[in-house]
This record gives sequence, C-alpha cells and structure tokens, in this order.
Amino acid sequence: MKELRFRIILIAGAIALCLYLLYPTYKDYRNNKEVTAQLEGLQQSIKKGNPSLTNAQIKDIIASKKDSILTNNPDYRSAREKRMKLGLDLQGGMYLVMEVNTAKLLEKLAKDPDAQFKQILKVSEAESKDSDENVVSILARKMKQQGIRMSRYFGSIREDDAAITSKLLQQESDAVTRAIEIISNRVNQYGVSEPSIQKQGSRRIIIELPGIAREEEAKRLLQGSALLEFKLVKDADFAIPIMNQIDQALAGKTGKDSASAKKDVASKTDTTKKDQKLTAEQFAKEHPFFAVARLLDPQGRIADAYVKESDKSKINAFLENPEVKKVVPDNIEFIYDQRPEQDPSGEKYYRMYMVNREASLTGGVIVDAQSNIDPSTSAPVVNMQMNTEGARDWAQITGSNINKRCAIVLDGVVYSAPNIIGKIPSGNSQITGSANLEEAKLLEIVLKAGALPAPIDILEQRTVGPSLGQDSISKGLNSTWIGYVIVALFMIFYYKKAGTYASFALMITILLLIGVLAGFGATLTLPGIAGIILTMGIAVDANVIIYERIREELATGKTVKAAIDSGFKLSFAPIFDSNITSFFTGLILYQFGSGPIQGFALTLMIGLVTSLFAQLVVVRVIFDFMVAKGFKINVG
Amino acid sequence: MRLFKDLNIDFMSKRTTFYFVSATILLLGLLTIFIKGVTFGIDFRGGSEIALQFEKPVDIEKIRTEVDKLGIGNVEVKTFGGSTGILLRTELQELPKQILPKVRSKIESVIFSVYPGIEKKVIDSSSTSITYSFPDPSTANVLNNRLFLAGFNSAKVSEEATNTAVSVRLGIADLIKDNLTEKFKDNSFSVLKEDRVGPKVGKELKRDAVLSILLSLVVILIYLGFRFKFTFAFGAVIALFHDVLITLGIFVILYGVIPGFNLEISVSVVAAFLTLVGYSINDTVIVFDRVREQMKIHKMLSVEENMNHALNKTMSRTIITVFTVLLTIIALLIFGGEVLRGFAFALFIGMITGTYSSVFIASAFVLEYANRTHKKIEF
Repeated sequence: MKELRFRIILIAGAIALCLYLLYPTYKDYRNNKEVTAQLEGLQQSIKKGNPSLTNAQIKDIIASKKDSILTNNPDYRSAREKRMKLGLDLQGGMYLVMEVNTAKLLEKLAKDPDAQFKQILKVSEAESKDSDENVVSILARKMKQQGIRMSRYFGSIREDDAAITSKLLQQESDAVTRAIEIISNRVNQYGVSEPSIQKQGSRRIIIELPGIAREEEAKRLLQGSALLEFKLVKDADFAIPIMNQIDQALAGKTGKDSASAKKDVASKTDTTKKDQKLTAEQFAKEHPFFAVARLLDPQGRIADAYVKESDKSKINAFLENPEVKKVVPDNIEFIYDQRPEQDPSGEKYYRMYMVNREASLTGGVIVDAQSNIDPSTSAPVVNMQMNTEGARDWAQITGSNINKRCAIVLDGVVYSAPNIIGKIPSGNSQITGSANLEEAKLLEIVLKAGALPAPIDILEQRTVGPSLGQDSISKGLNSTWIGYVIVALFMIFYYKKAGTYASFALMITILLLIGVLAGFGATLTLPGIAGIILTMGIAVDANVIIYERIREELATGKTVKAAIDSGFKLSFAPIFDSNITSFFTGLILYQFGSGPIQGFALTLMIGLVTSLFAQLVVVRVIFDFMVAKGFKINVG
Repeated sequence: MRLFKDLNIDFMSKRTTFYFVSATILLLGLLTIFIKGVTFGIDFRGGSEIALQFEKPVDIEKIRTEVDKLGIGNVEVKTFGGSTGILLRTELQELPKQILPKVRSKIESVIFSVYPGIEKKVIDSSSTSITYSFPDPSTANVLNNRLFLAGFNSAKVSEEATNTAVSVRLGIADLIKDNLTEKFKDNSFSVLKEDRVGPKVGKELKRDAVLSILLSLVVILIYLGFRFKFTFAFGAVIALFHDVLITLGIFVILYGVIPGFNLEISVSVVAAFLTLVGYSINDTVIVFDRVREQMKIHKMLSVEENMNHALNKTMSRTIITVFTVLLTIIALLIFGGEVLRGFAFALFIGMITGTYSSVFIASAFVLEYANRTHKKIEF
C-alpha cells in the first residue's frame, strides 16, 4: 500500500488542481445564467416598447447588454477573466487578416511620382500578387532593369539603391506597426472585450474581435486613417477651479450640505489637506468628483488626475450631468492617456488631462518624424518636421504658450504631453521625455499617423454570429457526453470490471484535458471540442492494448499479478511510439492551421498526454490497489 | 467477452487480393479527381460565403431566383442546418462591372434623398470602392453617417477636419444581404456566419496544406526509421500515403451524392487528413511492434509467419480501438452539427482505411521488400 500512496496523492492532486482551474469557468457559467434570467424581463419590455425591432435585433441588444454586465461588474469580472476562453467560432465575433498595401504606401512616399513610376509600380503590384516577393524588392528590380535609380523617387540623391530599398522595407514594417497602433487604440476605446491584434510576418495583421458580429461596426474600427491633433493642456490655475465647481455641483446634486462645499471654493489645496482626515466614504460623498479623479499633485500645481479604469464611465456620466454641464466651459474637454499606470495591487489608472476642445493643429502638417538617441544627453528624443504652413502656425502656437503643455492626441487619446520650452520657428521640433527608445518609437509612429495613413487591405474576414456559436457549443457538448457514454458502455460491456476502470480513467482524461486548457489560458474552439471527443475514442486505445495483453499473458498461465505486470510493461513501448507520432502530427497541424484548427491541434496534443497519464498511471493504481486488497480482477 | 479468440488467419497470403482492392479504389478515386476535379471549400478557393438563419422556413428556390436576379453570376445556394438556414456562396472577389452602375445609383439615391441636387464628384472608383467628394466637410460628415445608416460601408477618407471625401466600400455579401432583406421583409434573418477569403490566402493555404501533410509523413518516416528499421518506416509511410489518397478519392467520389453532406475540401478536412495520418500510424506501430517482438522470439520462423502471428494477436485490439474511435466519430457526425460534418466524415473514412492499410499495406510492403531482397530482417 505504501508504494501506492505517492501515486494516489499525485492523482488526487492533479484532479484537485484541475477542479480549481475549472472553477472560474463554472462560476462564469452560473453568472451568465443569472444575468440572462435578469435580462429576460428587459427583453420583454424592449419588445413591447419597440415593436418594430426584429427578434434578431432584440437578441443583439440583449447580447451586448449581457456582455457589458459580465465584463464590468467586478463580481462577475474576475470569474470571466479566468474562465476558459472560447474561440470566435463558439462565442461569435470577427476574425480578420489584413495586409498593408505596400503599393499605395510607396505611391504616397514617392516624391513627384510621374507616369513612368506609376506604370512600374502597377506592374510590380500585379506581379506581387502571384509571388511571395515583396513589392518593394520587385519595384527595385524593375527600376534597375530600366536603368532608373531609386533615389529619383525616394530618399536623397547620395543614397544607393540598396540603402533606399532597406529604408522602404522599414517604412513598410512601420506602416504595419502604425496600423496596429491605430486599430488597437480604436478597439480599446470601443470596449471590445479580450481583443487580439497581432503582427504576422512583416506586413500582416491578424485581428480577433470577440463579440462583434456587426460587420459595419468592426469596419469603423479598422480603418487605417486616424486623426492626430495637438491640443493645449489647461493650466492648473484654470483647471482646478473648474474641477472644484464640478465637484460641488455633483455634491450638491447628491444632497450634501452646501456650507462645506462653499468652503471648498477657497482653494483645492486646503481641501485636500483637510480631506485627508475624512474617511474614504465621507470623502466620496462630499467630493464625488475628486474621489474618482485623484489629483496627481496634491498641491495642485498641475491639474492632471488619475482615474481608475472602471471609473472612466463614472466620469463620463458626471460630465453628462446637467448641473455639471452648466459649470464646464464649452471649449474644454477631458481626455485620457493612452496607456494606464498600474498600482501595486494591479489596479489600472489612466491619467486624465483637461485640454482645449479645439485642436491647435492637426497631424496633416507633419512631414516626417524620427525617434533617436540624443548624442549629447543619450536620452531618447523624437524629431518632427512640419510643412511650411504648419510651421507657421506652430511657431505662433509655441511662441504664445511657452511653459505650457501641448498634448499629442491620436483619435482622442493622449500619447504624450510635452512642455513647450520655447518658440519653434522652423517647424523642426524635438520632443524629449520618452522613458525609453521604444516609447520614442511609438511616438514617432503616432506622429506619422496623421500625415501618412497606413493603407490596409482585408485579405480574409470571418464572422460568426452569436447564435451559431451558441448552437455549436450545445451541439459540441451533446456530442461529447453522448460520445463518452457510448464508449464507456462499450468498454464496460467488453471488459467488465476492467472496463469500468477504463471508463473512470477516461473521465479523468477529459477532466485533466479541460483543466489544462483552462489553466494555460488556451482557447476552446469548435474543432477543439471535436478534438476532445476524438481523444475519448483514442484514449481507450491504451487500455485496449494493455487489457488484450493481460489476457494473453493470463492465457499463458501467469498469475494475475504477474500478468498485470507484464501486460503493462510490454504495452508501454507500442503505446509510447504510437502516441509520440500522433503528437508530432499534432505539432505540424498547430503550425499549419489558424485559430480554430490550432485549438483542435492543441486539444489533441494535451489529450494525448492526459490520456497517457490516466490510462497508464490511474488504471495501474486501481489494478495494484485491487491486487493488494485481494479483490478479484476481471478483464472480461 | 472475446471477439477473436485464438485467431489464426493467413493474412499475408491474401495480400495480392488486397493490393487489387486498394488499387481499384485508388484508381477510381484518382479517375474521379481527374474528371470531376477536387471541390475546394471557400478557404482554398477564395470568395464570399454567408450563412443566414431565417425566422420561418424559407423556400430555397425563391432565394435562388432572387439572387439570380442580382446578376452577379453564379451564386451557390444551399440549405444550412435545418429548413430555416441558407448558405450562399460565390467565388467572385469583387462586384462584376455590369453591376456597378446599379449599386452606384443606389448610393446616389441616398445622397440625393438627403441633399437633393448636391454637387458631388467621383474622385476614385474601382470595383471594390467608390469615393465621392462633396463641397464642404460638414455635408461630407452628414452623408457619411446617412450612407452608413442606410447599410453602406461608408467612411471618411481622412479624419482631418477639412476632409470632404467619403468612400463607400462595395462588397458582394453586402449586396446580397441588402437585397434579401428587401425581398424577404416578412421573414427577417440573422447572419449566422460570414466568410470572405482573398485569392492570395487560398493559394498560400493550399501550399501549406500539402506541405504540412508531406512534412508529417517525413517526420513519421524519420522517427519510425529510428525506432524500427527503415523498411518498416517506409512501409508505414506508404500505408499513410495510401490512406490519405483513398480518403481524398472517396471524398471526391461522394461529393454531391449524399444529400445534406457538404463534402468539399476545407481547412478542417485537411486537418482531418493530418489527424488521420497521426492516428492511422498508431495501428501500424502496434502491429510493427508485435512483429519485432515475434522476430526476436521466433528467430527461425519466416518473416511471413511472424507477421501473420503478430497480425492475429493484435487483431482484437485493432478492431476494438477503431470501433471505439468510430463510435465517437459517429457521435460527432450525428450530433456535431453542420460545421463539423465534413471533418467528421473525413475522419470516419480515414479511420477505416487507416486500420485496413496498417494490416494489409504496411506489413505487406515490408514482406515484399524482404522477399525481393532476400535479406534477413533482424532486430
């Protein structure tokens, strides 16, 4: 028994771990049910209120409502974040493969493109459709054939063809990064949960947007053009009083005594000091705005505030409040930083700026931008050039706003808010203050986004509606348990008692398989479910091999214990060999396929491992236990 | 219970019969592939595909006539799932030229309904998009939104405040959907799924599919060559090759024969091929392992006798295993729904041929080799 104990503990531990990993999935499932029940009433009322809506439209509304409840309510959110991820084919959504249109990019980059250039470009583009070669290299080759130097259209006269070609390739790669930045920026603002945006190769982007079934909505998110603006950040002298007024308006609205609110008008500096003595709850009551928007500098020298990710919607609601609208001037707005900062507990905070609503300048004036390391200070800098028109405006803006900050805003999100040190007459500006070269590079990409859109084409687009996904889930689950029942019944019928062990081990195989999937954060797809079903059929193979062998060994007259021993021992090599070859094909399949197919390959591979564990270790333990206890073993 | 007790069949002597059986099926399959051609799914062909779910049962013929009226050429119309599901597919990548004016007039009627007599210029027009320019930015904004609401895929050309241009993307799927919404007002539908695959993707995918199947064969060849003898590995790979070809052949032969079964070569069917390569090898390895064991024990027996022995001893396991796998695949075929049907069917055929070939092709190849070369195989 002693030698069994370790193995039993190992098995129990593995099962416990898997149950633990699967618990959030179960919890999310329960939550989902709960919310669906809650929304039932809403659905009825929508139907009554708007009889013109079709059932499908109402379903869409309810689905999006449900999604937003499940992702925003903190009680539900943690389960949702840790649950088993479902592929787009199961939860509905959109999968896109996009490619940068290099030809369009080259046309934009070329200086004075003449008819000859356009002709060569057209031919190169056509040729690239049938080959793997890049448009840039095809173009370079064609130009060379015709004896035209690349420098005629790109770069400077001193550069040779190779240098220009590599620069253009870099531009192409930058365009992909730029498109990714623009798209993820939009997708984040739009509030798609768990989006995935990846670069594939040098010019492709793979985008997965779960929950978006409306093509039109997605398309709006996925354009390559973006709006870059320069907006002046409001001084603390101007901003803090307004924020105070918002605070009071809100506090008054929630029915607080106006006497204490009036005192606060004096200065924000005082209130923050005094308020530190208040409990958090009191503070939230008396200063609803500042409780949510925490000032960065308690002394109030700058008016930036930190807002929790989950509080952004509160701020928006505050600003919609009619009382608040009265005190907020029309010409300002609040915008957020693009990346959140995390406190030690993992809570995400966004920096909020008060800026002029109207942009001082838009990105169309930017001619070029490069990130670099400043040789004298070895700090990362971004240099930016503007056209003459832009430079003229820029000189005026910078001249009259020295020592003020100017936010660089892409599609409504702040990427940087550098301080204006002095008047910039030439349009050639240098932006310092990036934490590292990577950040500077991002700023460069953003600055270029205004002038140089990233032309992208959609190569592949797959949309799965939520109802098909739901249907697939229920069909998949049905076939899984039906598959299990028939295989288990057959095994018990054929191998009697040993068959029940195998059926039990099969259950553990599946449990471990989905536990591991959930634990690794792998995505379950419909082919993935098919993989689970197939795993069940194949998993018992190991049992069959062993049992048949034990029967043979028993037939030669061995004792039960000896027959079991040699049955397991002799079966190991063929089981291992056959499983490892299957594993190899699983790996190749994983490489070949995209999304759903990868899910299938992954479940197959994990299924191979867990089934080996269950059939070799678990079944062996049961056998050994039975033998040790003196029970009769029966292999049919 | 025992299916095969003390089985003793001389499999190897019958091998010529099985060569004949395999060759016939293979030839039939290849011939059909040659005549009928392989029907690829949208993944490989490229094109657009939409599956719609109507609220009430819908007459497929009526949809066919409606879609034909659009004049965009050949659009396949099939049922999808039950009687309320419809699958529409076209290989076209972009709208045909003769349709463009029709779509354009539709767009322009929306524009005129908002601003009658507005001055507009077409600054760019291709078969996938059309770009208008309007007199001032605010009209451009209004029209962009109106067009969008009217169901067109419109977008401002640039986000700059001075932008006056609006482009409208033209898609076949959109056109079909618009038309059907109009024609089936009393029976509204929701879009179950929509796929659009560019021609380039399909081409790459075809290459990748063939490459990955070949690669998996090579990997198996190397691994088994290392674990057994090279002859055995070669025999196993021949058997696998045979399985894939036969399954492909049967797929092509049965295409369009069984109603409700969509037997075209899609990515998931290729995945099924790869899976069957991975699992068909199981049987072969089990048999070979037994052959090796027999050869070690009974050094004096001929290769043929040892093989027969091994096959008879493993037959029970072979049959039971393939049976349990088939049970699950049948569950998948019946209850797994439309999306997985082709995949499950490919596996179903593949598993049967895989088992058959591991008995009759893989071992037989090794035997032929041993007989021809008169070399003694030893472990």
